Amino acid sequence: MARTKQAAAGSSNANSSSVNGSQKARSPSPDPSDRPLGPLAVTVPAYDREVVKVNNANLTELKNACDDAVKRFLSRPELFKQIYTHTDVRLGLGWLSVFVAAGTAFYGYKIDFEQSKPVVTVGLILYIILTVLSTLYAYFVEGDTIFVGKRKTFSKRIITERITLSSSTPPTPKASSCPSYSVSLHYVRSTNGGKTLLGRGRTKGAAPYNKFFDANGVMDQPAFEKWVGGLVETAMDGKAA
Amino acid sequence: MFTEELKAFRRLGFRHVLLQVLNFASVIASGLMIWKGLGIVTNSESPIVVVLSGSMEPAFYRGDLLFLTNPSSEQYKTGDITVYKIPGAEIPIVHRVMETHDVPKSIDIRKYTKSKSKSKPQPGEDSKQDNQLLLTKGDNNYVDDIELYQGLEWLEKKHIVGKVRGFLPYVGYVTIAMNDCPQLKYALLGGLGLLALIQRE
Repeated sequence: MARTKQAAAGSSNANSSSVNGSQKARSPSPDPSDRPLGPLAVTVPAYDREVVKVNNANLTELKNACDDAVKRFLSRPELFKQIYTHTDVRLGLGWLSVFVAAGTAFYGYKIDFEQSKPVVTVGLILYIILTVLSTLYAYFVEGDTIFVGKRKTFSKRIITERITLSSSTPPTPKASSCPSYSVSLHYVRSTNGGKTLLGRGRTKGAAPYNKFFDANGVMDQPAFEKWVGGLVETAMDGKAA
Repeated sequence: MFTEELKAFRRLGFRHVLLQVLNFASVIASGLMIWKGLGIVTNSESPIVVVLSGSMEPAFYRGDLLFLTNPSSEQYKTGDITVYKIPGAEIPIVHRVMETHDVPKSIDIRKYTKSKSKSKPQPGEDSKQDNQLLLTKGDNNYVDDIELYQGLEWLEKKHIVGKVRGFLPYVGYVTIAMNDCPQLKYALLGGLGLLALIQRE
């Protein structure tokens, strides 16, 4: 399906809503306008999609399946590269606390109780601090974020983009019958090493889970990707939905 | 059953595998730390023990779980139920205190204990309270514990693991079963590990 887009006339500000008459057909190569490729435009040749089948009744599995599909979708070549900072911090703190715990327990096992007490107390306090830090980080700094991606493209100059997606399953109001998947995006485009801001967009979208999962729990990945891609492109155009 | 999980792991990448293993490892780590923390707080080497013999019936039966504390300012009195461990004996014993003698710090306690060790009293033992010499006996036994002391005449405070503060009946049978039948222990651990590795938060 050839996707058409209204090209912004000559203006480098992606927030501008001026439109010129020509309609451009989408192509995989960077188009002359300043807006880099959106995810829907990058059509990777049909690859072997693995069938994603989850338990329909388990909300956690549904959300995780959607999160994983988002990550896969946006990490394709030519699209964003995932930044793993949040994951790495959690992994680092977590494994450090595991090693501290293992070391303390081993020390307490080898040395007599009375002599080992000071060291074991120190190890215990260290473990508690690391665990609290990790929990606070996951709750406050990371929050609902599922994907942080970065991309550098070169059209007329080096454009750096950064996209952050967070998702959640908000409590279902009594009226609707199906819980929905709510995703919110924050998109920033800049150049000149991050000093010049070209554009910024924030988008939110929500869709009920039964739009993407059938009765058996098989995920309709193309439909999901189309929906997410639309949201990302809206954010890239700078429209606040 | 595992091919699905292995495929999922390969698809999701190395970091995901690390996260899942971290899940499992942190469960074990927190268990260890809670145990050590309990030991520090109660000042006891092993704050929760299981009764293995019937020598304290009808107070405690085999399979009961006992909760111990060992505050450093504690002076044990006749009638206290204590858990003690003789150096050289593998398992601690839970019996009642029959006699106590307070030995002020000015007197070297080794005169009374026939202890063969030439080492000085260990640091870390409480120096504010008097040391004590104790004699114990199980409620259900006919004789006191001299036979069990492996040559010592008296127990000292450093042999005491703690004093019993509370107990839960029957719960200790899980530990007894796991000790008598190690396969159960590995099966339980393996099952827990599998669950933690496969589930995602």
